[in-house]
Amino acid sequence: MRLNWKPFILSLFVILVLFPFAYMILLSFMSGWRFPNLVPEYIGLRNWETILGSEVGLLSSFFSSVLISLSVGIFSTIIGFLISRTVYYHPHKRILNLLTYFPYILAPVVFAACLSYFFLKLGLFGNIGGVIVAQFLIAFPYALLFFSSFWNEKIRSYEDLVSTLGGSPIQKFTKVILPLAKSMLLICFFQTFLISWFEYGLTSIIGVGKVQTLTIKVFLFIKESNYYYGALACCLLIFPPVVLLYFNKRYVFKNPI
Amino acid sequence: MKNKTENIGLVFFILIGVLPFAAAFVYAILYSFGIIGVVNDGFTLEFWEAVIHSGEFFKSFGYSAAIAFVSLSISVVGALWITLKFRHQLEQKFLSFVTYLPLAIPGVVAAFFTLQLFSKGGLFSRISYKLGWINNATQFPDLVNDIYAVGITLAFATMVLPFFVLLFMNVYKNERIEELSILAQALGAKKIQVVQKVFLPILFQKTWVLIVLYFIFLLGSYEIPLILGQESPQMLSVLVIREIKQYDLTKISEGYVVAVIYTAVVALAAVALFLPKKHGNHET
Repeated sequence: MRLNWKPFILSLFVILVLFPFAYMILLSFMSGWRFPNLVPEYIGLRNWETILGSEVGLLSSFFSSVLISLSVGIFSTIIGFLISRTVYYHPHKRILNLLTYFPYILAPVVFAACLSYFFLKLGLFGNIGGVIVAQFLIAFPYALLFFSSFWNEKIRSYEDLVSTLGGSPIQKFTKVILPLAKSMLLICFFQTFLISWFEYGLTSIIGVGKVQTLTIKVFLFIKESNYYYGALACCLLIFPPVVLLYFNKRYVFKNPI
Repeated sequence: MKNKTENIGLVFFILIGVLPFAAAFVYAILYSFGIIGVVNDGFTLEFWEAVIHSGEFFKSFGYSAAIAFVSLSISVVGALWITLKFRHQLEQKFLSFVTYLPLAIPGVVAAFFTLQLFSKGGLFSRISYKLGWINNATQFPDLVNDIYAVGITLAFATMVLPFFVLLFMNVYKNERIEELSILAQALGAKKIQVVQKVFLPILFQKTWVLIVLYFIFLLGSYEIPLILGQESPQMLSVLVIREIKQYDLTKISEGYVVAVIYTAVVALAAVALFLPKKHGNHET
């Protein structure tokens, strides 16, 4: 009889995927976990209770991250969508597309290091506004590229049809283009939100330690060897994307345009 | 009216999408030649010569490329195997959601988790101690901050492999590889022939641009090598930031030389990838 090994591999796969989440949650409840012990001295709510106070500033970091990511997600999606029409209907769209790729594939941290002089001169260094602008500069090319497939012949034909039937440009936009682009706009918002939410290098350069998003906090805790708070910050960092992915996958990917 | 709107769109595109990159690149070039900078006196090739002679950039570039290549190879081969063997199971509701979950893990968390598992005081070191394989933490092998970048490679693979599984499954469905495979088998092809002549060629033709893009992303990765890497050689982004942010002001220009070379390489890669007219790349 041939052994069916697939269920074992699949179970292992599920365990491997879920393990980091379970480990981070467990570690966030621990303290006094010294080598070589496998069981910590304390497991309880103490670490989580401290985030309700302002002792470690995790809650304010969480809200800063939410504010920054929401702003970056909303602005890059809307502006990216509006400008992508010009770019991908342009006769030289290949060149414009190539120009879009330059900031997109450059390491954000190197981009930020080379831009920091200008941010300093514009008064955008070390504040939330500066971090939002800097992250927008890397999320915007993503949004442009994301919408490149939207502006195709089919959409153009719809636009021409509306114009032929006497529709105004505003009607064309609100009654045809927006409804057609709705699900793509939502996915783009999720993706750009995540780009911002996960961003570390660029934020550390432009924020110069004054803007402490959750990723910055995780890194600070690792440097301080405070792994329990680090795990707690990781939990705050990974669970909003899990919720977003749940909704993203369930409601958006199943409804293609 | 129509032209006016298009021109405004184009102006905004240049202002937001092109100007910042151009400004950053020009600034880095001027700094690297000593034309600007607090302690620089004017045009000089001294910093370029210093970087080329020290060889640190080339070492770092080779090191980064090797790590990116190995991580990507593991991820692509692993994802191909999973897609080939488990695609039907992974389409079930629960497993489908589980497959998406790793996308919620950012680089900094992946690095932290790898450190927690594989460092000398980490979980596997503790288990090894309890099993009697080691007598103290120092006997545990160097799996993070090590010369072979085992930790970095593991963290990269953890992040990239799930993405490629999703991508390949998506292409498999969209390109109707299932139907083509059945057709090939009906025409007498063996299972291995179906994989070699149908599955792999279609998948690679549709995804090779993204595979190359991921290589470039890994090449410039920052937070994972910053946490899991060693002092020397360092991966490219870590090296650039170390040089630019150092206290010795006379050395900052050398950091910008590295930044200019890295940016030029990446820009050339973009030209090679995206300027030719036709691509079979998969839209994401």
